[in-house]
Amino acid sequence: MSRKLTVVLSQAPGKNPAKRGLEESLAAALIMEPGVDVSIVPNLYDMGPDHTGRMFLESVPGDMVVLSWLFPRAAFWLLDRDGIKGQFGITLLKPPADDEEEKEKEKPLEGIGATGTIPDRHIYTLDLRDFNKAEPYVNEIRRIIAEATERIRQKAIDKAVANPVMISLGLPSKNGHAEPTIALPMFNADDLLAPANRRWYPVIDYNRCTNCLECLDFCLFGVYGVDSFDRILTENQDQCKKGCPACSRVCPQTAIMFPEYKTPTIAGADVGAIGGLKIDLSKLFGGGDTVDALTAAVAERDRELVADGRDAVGLAVGIPKRQTGKSQQPKDDLDRLVDDLDLLGL
Amino acid sequence: MPDSLTFLMGKHPAILPADVRYCRNHMWCRPGADGRHQFGFTGYAVRLMQDVYFLEWKVNDGDAVALKQEIGFIESSKAQSELYSPLAGKDIRFNPSLLNDPSAINSDTHATGWLFEMAADISGTMDAGEYYAYLEGAWATAQRILKNQVNLDDDE
Repeated sequence: MSRKLTVVLSQAPGKNPAKRGLEESLAAALIMEPGVDVSIVPNLYDMGPDHTGRMFLESVPGDMVVLSWLFPRAAFWLLDRDGIKGQFGITLLKPPADDEEEKEKEKPLEGIGATGTIPDRHIYTLDLRDFNKAEPYVNEIRRIIAEATERIRQKAIDKAVANPVMISLGLPSKNGHAEPTIALPMFNADDLLAPANRRWYPVIDYNRCTNCLECLDFCLFGVYGVDSFDRILTENQDQCKKGCPACSRVCPQTAIMFPEYKTPTIAGADVGAIGGLKIDLSKLFGGGDTVDALTAAVAERDRELVADGRDAVGLAVGIPKRQTGKSQQPKDDLDRLVDDLDLLGL
Repeated sequence: MPDSLTFLMGKHPAILPADVRYCRNHMWCRPGADGRHQFGFTGYAVRLMQDVYFLEWKVNDGDAVALKQEIGFIESSKAQSELYSPLAGKDIRFNPSLLNDPSAINSDTHATGWLFEMAADISGTMDAGEYYAYLEGAWATAQRILKNQVNLDDDE
């Protein structure tokens, strides 16, 4: 028996009519799609542990596609942190502008990897900013269904090869043929969509994180902690200071993402991906001068300390030891754009 | 009192009323008698953003803010931007009517579309003529930069 593929649509915060429009046409198309169970939840990033939408996500046993207005890496690791784990499903969906020559060579992953046991299922996170119509997403979901079906078939074959019938004869059957059917709890669509307050916290990409613990030293608000194996963890998400991305700047591996920060590299873009961005007027509207990452991080942290009624610490506390030479990386398109804006001399 | 000035952004006129002061981050400032002043987006800024549908403040009513401190975020159909304080100020109060519906920024930026008020020293602000000259000086570069960004989007 084959289970339907769970597709979860995470709404954009705010009331952007274009975004709502895409969400609605996607939902309409997916409801008609055979083999798909579609549910709509508020912005993934904002749902707290008590939100029905999050409990629903936690209850999904098999493969899952999550459509959100977040970069795929950010959405995947945000779910992982919430205990919604799986293998990273590789999407073939690419924004049309992806230049072949821009393709950076895949860096080998140096991170420590996800904690705990990773269930044998795949989670595909698709970015709703890649296309402004439903069709490419629906096609990709069809492809994923086929891929998932093939995977299950292959697993059954492997299993059969590994356990010849001869050996299993006479042993208690472990119900190896059919996928166990788990009764999904019922969730009310309105509860799923209950508005969620805006939240702000870092998300760690454990495929990049080397557990160097620089972030733990740097953050003075108690956001980070370690688990029982001394691995870094965003322990107290809601102690994080709204708008402050300082720890992601000091991370030597750029493993820390703030999914809703304006700079794509901090929001979890793969380096170089700037497709679909809106015009950023921040420089015109009085944004500060560009400074190196560490200076920016220290200033951001000091500002939050002062806002909390504490003393600014400047460079005196928790300064990373591993960032030397970091600021000398070649400039990307975005950096050049920012330099252009600097020419305005605002 | 001098008449308002009209700065032409290509074909689009940005009206610069003469009864307010101007800040370099494209906000107007209406001086108040008690040292508290009102701030909002200039016609120039509104035209760059076009339809605003999302506005969020990152500091609270009553807070003191530093010059160029990041105080909020705005998103429109065409653009997005962090928002920064035009001056150092105290006891900032945000326009409550924009929180649910920021569209007054587009329809009525010089009156009901005001953004916030605060106590501040506004002696460094510009009058309409100075702001006009400032816009003129930066327009060529601004245009080129915006065009670059737009082309980036169009190529995709």
